[in-house]
Amino acid sequence: MNEPKFRYMKDLPSARLLGSGTAMCAGCGGLQALHGIYDILGEKTVFINAAGCMTLLSVYPFTPFRGSWLYTSMASAPAGAQGVRDGLDILLEKKRISTEEDLEVVVLTGDGAAYGMGLSSTSGAIERDLDFLYICYDNEGYGNTGQQFSGATPHGARTATSKGPRGFTGFKKDLFSIWAAHRPAYVATIAGAEPLDLANKIEKARNLKGPRLLIAIAPCPTGWDYRPEDSVDIGKLAVRTGIWPLKEYIDGKVVHTKIPHPRLPVEEYLKRQGRFAHLFTPAPDTALIAEIQARVDGYWKGVV
Amino acid sequence: MYRIRFHGRGGQGIKTASRILGTTLFMEGFEVQDGPRYGAERRGAPMFAYVRASMEPIQERGIIRLPDLVIVTDDSLIPIPAAGVLTGVAERTVLLINSDEEPGLWRERLALAGPILTLPAAAHAPHINTQLTSVLSTGAAANLIGVISRRTLEEAIRKELAPLGAGAVEVNLENGLKAFDLTVVLKGSVREGGKTQAASYDPPDWIDLPFEEAAISAPAIHATATSERVKTGVWRTMRPVIDYSLCNRCWWICSTFCADGVIRVDEEGYPRIDYEHCKGCMICVAQCPRHAISAIPEHGEDTGERQE
Amino acid sequence: MKRTLLTGNSAAAWGARLADVDYVPAFPITPQTEIIETIAEWIDGGRMRSRMVTLESEHSMITAAGAAAATGVRVFTATSSQGLLYGMEMLYTVAGWRVPFVLVNVSRGLSAPITLEPDHNDVLAARDSGFLQIHCATCQEVLDSIILAFRLAEDKRVRLPVIVNMDGFYLSFTREPVEIPDTGSVRQFLPPLDAGDISFRASAPISQATAVLGGSPYSYFRYESHMAATNGLAVYDEAAESFAGLFGRSYGTVEEYRMEGAEIVFVMVGSFATKAREAVDRLRGAGRPVGLLRPRLLRPFPGKALRKLLAGRKGVMVIDQNLSMGKGGVLHMELASALYGHPDAPPVLTSFIGGLGGRDITPEEFYEMVAVTEKAIKDGSTPPPRLLYTKRELDEVRKLQAIANVERRETGKGE
Repeated sequence: MNEPKFRYMKDLPSARLLGSGTAMCAGCGGLQALHGIYDILGEKTVFINAAGCMTLLSVYPFTPFRGSWLYTSMASAPAGAQGVRDGLDILLEKKRISTEEDLEVVVLTGDGAAYGMGLSSTSGAIERDLDFLYICYDNEGYGNTGQQFSGATPHGARTATSKGPRGFTGFKKDLFSIWAAHRPAYVATIAGAEPLDLANKIEKARNLKGPRLLIAIAPCPTGWDYRPEDSVDIGKLAVRTGIWPLKEYIDGKVVHTKIPHPRLPVEEYLKRQGRFAHLFTPAPDTALIAEIQARVDGYWKGVV
Repeated sequence: MYRIRFHGRGGQGIKTASRILGTTLFMEGFEVQDGPRYGAERRGAPMFAYVRASMEPIQERGIIRLPDLVIVTDDSLIPIPAAGVLTGVAERTVLLINSDEEPGLWRERLALAGPILTLPAAAHAPHINTQLTSVLSTGAAANLIGVISRRTLEEAIRKELAPLGAGAVEVNLENGLKAFDLTVVLKGSVREGGKTQAASYDPPDWIDLPFEEAAISAPAIHATATSERVKTGVWRTMRPVIDYSLCNRCWWICSTFCADGVIRVDEEGYPRIDYEHCKGCMICVAQCPRHAISAIPEHGEDTGERQE
Repeated sequence: MKRTLLTGNSAAAWGARLADVDYVPAFPITPQTEIIETIAEWIDGGRMRSRMVTLESEHSMITAAGAAAATGVRVFTATSSQGLLYGMEMLYTVAGWRVPFVLVNVSRGLSAPITLEPDHNDVLAARDSGFLQIHCATCQEVLDSIILAFRLAEDKRVRLPVIVNMDGFYLSFTREPVEIPDTGSVRQFLPPLDAGDISFRASAPISQATAVLGGSPYSYFRYESHMAATNGLAVYDEAAESFAGLFGRSYGTVEEYRMEGAEIVFVMVGSFATKAREAVDRLRGAGRPVGLLRPRLLRPFPGKALRKLLAGRKGVMVIDQNLSMGKGGVLHMELASALYGHPDAPPVLTSFIGGLGGRDITPEEFYEMVAVTEKAIKDGSTPPPRLLYTKRELDEVRKLQAIANVERRETGKGE
């Protein structure tokens, strides 16, 4: 493996290409990650979007993008990427545009589209070996509609549709593995709170061909119920407690890019968020906390 | 019919406040309509809600153009044209503002002839999830309308806030009733407005929409970074201020973690906050390792000179 | 030009080939599949210079079609029935993008109950989507309409996608003599796509299909699409005239058949209209003043042309090969709204529902529709809508129900 391009924080680009003034919530963890991603991918991109919070990035006549954008629907952003990529390839092949006019096609969706409604079209795009990037900002619920649970909601989290004493009784779907099972060129998890790891993965993905898919944890002050200023801390804690493993799949292998050591107890992450408050008050739900911890421990047991 | 408009920011609870007021009027025997209105913007962004009440069935819907009472839960919204706080405010409209400043000052500033009331207590109430500043103004408004009893207000607050838990009910009840008592001398100063007249009216200036080619009329933006024209700085209630004597010019931490990308680094390596767009999330305050950034209230004495 | 036997599906494939399309997103569905099979074979054999991609659903297929069109290439796609409905969200969506492309729909009755043979409820579900609609009656017309449809879609006054509709089985799998135009003439009629500003390019960043908030701007964008669709009538007439000049085949927005002196007129769309032509001939032979109008365009709706053609007639018989549950025939409603309040409008407008799920319409039924309408004219009262359905058919259904062990109880008497 080559040396990472960004070795120190000071190597990171500081262009802040993505425009400000968007409708995203103050302290949006997904937007914070997108800034880092956009600074590396740059303007020669077309973002293909599915219905979600970030659909409201481009509300006529306002857009933060310095490159291009196309909103499709909730289910079919990867198919939109297929159409644009094929269209550009045809134009290049038939010499109707020069190679300088080419764009990197980037799908941008939330977890609702990525884990659920859009999974079939993502699967199809990978199977067709589409040359595209997929960025999922994962705020672990249908955030744009008020944080109902989605296929990405973690066990125990309280959402607008799981208000019971044990929160969401289901389990977060392992999208990383589902994607990786298709054997695409690249799959990775990232966090805006880990900008160096994020930058190196985006840079690596940028230089590969074929389907390259990344899931960014997107701490959500509105949906997860914490103060906006805590967004980065919560992202860091997700990594340091081992709840959000930073890893990548490439050449048939999964590699963890940051193994938390020592790994903090999951409480450190859970107690900072209102969506897990029922695990601590009025009385601690030690059984459920232990269950969540056991699951995380079990995961890392298989890693190290 | 009473036509009451609430103006606040996403997250201040004006939807809840409008529902409490709607419930009080309903309990007093009125036909009622209440509802919030929000766009794409989120927490901190200007939004509004409305309540209509009448002894007859209500046929009107949607936006209130000519309000009898306008309740402003955040006085920083008033100068923002997009917030539309003053739309349709006439001489007979009562304006209730959560503000430290004297009504006289607002009257002068806004050049309004109508009654203006301020609620200094509400201006200082903390914005936290369980304690809603907007409940204070609702309590005050209930008395201004003059047809709502203290007991009804109490019942409505209990009913509407029950899902937030007993603690939230108690603290908001105390605040709401305190505000109600505060305005007792002004009881009934809000008067019901009339109806539009069909006999004489200004006809709408309808036009035949001209056909325009798709190059013009498709919902496509042929420009870049136009979002920067949206001054999201108005969402802010707190302002992050950098103390440059403490800043060690690491540059990247506050700038990289800024969710909105509004902290740039100047030639000397100092971070500069773009206050026109900073939404006031305070991630920079939380992340700065030197604690060189502090949060000050948007209306406080310190206006950010330390940045210079 | 050569004349050869082609199915409607082959004719559609020829239309796409002659239009020199760049891109064909596809998904198989009966009875449309032969179109994409034919195109795939040509591409594999190097006879067609297009890229074909099989998506995993029609929803994705129409998304890809719209997205490629938004990049500035010429796109053709095809589907049918459930497929059109599965992609329905995207029909409305891509039409709003204001991108031109052509979609062939092979009409087939909708589920439930699921079936294979044609009626028009599938394509009429797309009636309000923003796609223009051309309805064909012959295999020749399918080929010609695709070429016409690209001209229409790509015209700056329109810039909307177009559906070319043909009936499953009756056209899709039926061979008829078709004249295949030569490539040179087609190129003269339909030059390579001038995408203009429709593009995704590094040098011209654009945010397409953005969200629009607020009723006023939303109304603007939607009404502009409506006006563009309406412009389609004049643009179509121009294109059809130029087409007739080059190829000798005329296609008006409304096909008129034996309208001279006609007092009673059939109005219907699709391939069953050729059955009506035959019936009109027989009726004329029997001395009855009957004619036929077949709208080829349903969107934009040629209301003015129909009004003019029907002015002063005594009666109109609308045959709807579709059914709007709880209301009746869609074409009947559309025509009624075009005629109502106009002094010359025919006083009697009868409604017949027929051909659902491919059910035949017999010559005798055409004759009887005329008799019913003549009586209505004489009585001065319009009869209720009539489903074309015979006693024998009901008897057959009864037999099926017996096998299905349907328990029949006397109704109205109580237990």
